[in-house]
Amino acid sequence: MSEPSRTSGAAPPGVPLVWREIAVRVPEGWQELVAERLAACFASGVVFGRASLASEPVPEGFELVRVFAAGARELAELQREARAELAALAERTDAIELAELEVSVRELPPEDFARSWEKRWKPFRVGRIAVVSPHASSKLRAHDLELRLEPGGAFGTGRHTTTRSCLRVIQRRIVGGERVLDAGCGNGVLAVAALLCGAERALGFDVDPHAVPYAAALARENRVLDRCDLRAGGFEALSERDAHFDAVFANIYADLIQRHAAELASRLAPHGWFVFSGCHRDHRAATEAAIAAAGLVIEARASTGRWDTYEGRRRR
Amino acid sequence: MAKEVTAKIKLQCPAGQATPAPPVGPALGSHGVNIAAFVKEFNERTRKDMGLIIPVEITVYKDRSFDFVLKSPPAGVLLKKAAGLESAAHAPGHETVGKVTRAQVEEIAKMKMKDLNARTLDAACRIIEGTARAAGIKVEG
Repeated sequence: MSEPSRTSGAAPPGVPLVWREIAVRVPEGWQELVAERLAACFASGVVFGRASLASEPVPEGFELVRVFAAGARELAELQREARAELAALAERTDAIELAELEVSVRELPPEDFARSWEKRWKPFRVGRIAVVSPHASSKLRAHDLELRLEPGGAFGTGRHTTTRSCLRVIQRRIVGGERVLDAGCGNGVLAVAALLCGAERALGFDVDPHAVPYAAALARENRVLDRCDLRAGGFEALSERDAHFDAVFANIYADLIQRHAAELASRLAPHGWFVFSGCHRDHRAATEAAIAAAGLVIEARASTGRWDTYEGRRRR
Repeated sequence: MAKEVTAKIKLQCPAGQATPAPPVGPALGSHGVNIAAFVKEFNERTRKDMGLIIPVEITVYKDRSFDFVLKSPPAGVLLKKAAGLESAAHAPGHETVGKVTRAQVEEIAKMKMKDLNARTLDAACRIIEGTARAAGIKVEG
């Protein structure tokens, strides 16, 4: 495998590693105003709510506002500064609720926040597809297909049960040279996996306009962008010529599979096969009925936890 | 594809200028979210509002992926806009830099009621009026 780049995801230069947290318990309703003042006072962004479920719960009727000060500043000094700002705010607003709010301060352990999440993210394997981060080198086995995926983006990590089920089917059924359609492609992981397994071309579309740039980035990272056609939109983004696919993938919701089963089937070549996933087992009967009504034959159903994945062919 | 939600996180970040530093880092890092990916997408989606502070609600899923929605701007920002101001008073409490009508206060209160968790419109109006005073904006009528 090529040497992975470690450029993206690095902490921007000048981001301090040492921070203090100032937390104020604010009567509900006033949290935004308090947040605005404290953010201006400490040149900080704001978090609402407690740090974790392990920290002390916030009493009913209150919201916790947390801001952050850069550098190793004295805690007592920060507390005084915050209290003075809040006292001035209470006076200006004439709101008695804001007088004498509880202010707590603490040191945050020094951390490179841009990279620390990586400790929790581990590469994983689905059959011979090894899903690895572009930011770290991973040991691969001789016949592994490396799929480089920026972990944790808005369109998934590839780790979800339904995605893994689809990846298993795709690597088993792709023989090489196929044209594939990925309906509701999200970050394009299924389309890219199919191309890595030997498919010739992939068309992916998604109603979420943010999906296409993600999918394009994933395809580029895996050097298959020139074989991808990615479009924002639903079925209306397809033309009549976008048909006769050798395989159709749809890792979406059961109700969408039910609603669009006929449309998905119509895009398949007579010899084509499909993999549909994201189907909750509670909707199993209706989903299977819709797939059958669309002229498709279910050859296998894989169930993991609450999720069903179907694979099959057009009825001959 | 439905996914199990593990956390909902509310933040306010400068549009187009979020960094992995706090508040983003500690808030998201503890959930194993790729902070750089969030920062990149947040900045991309808020670039047009550069200069504003944008409230954002982030949903973190069990597989450590995330999604986020941008909420309505803070009341202070809406008040300044309603009063036609570039910025708030430098010495609020001593200086009046603009004015809004009671109807404008009520309109903002209605827009913000849900975000503020205010129980009644009166309670929301009182908070918006307090916010106006804090910014040196006079409420007339």
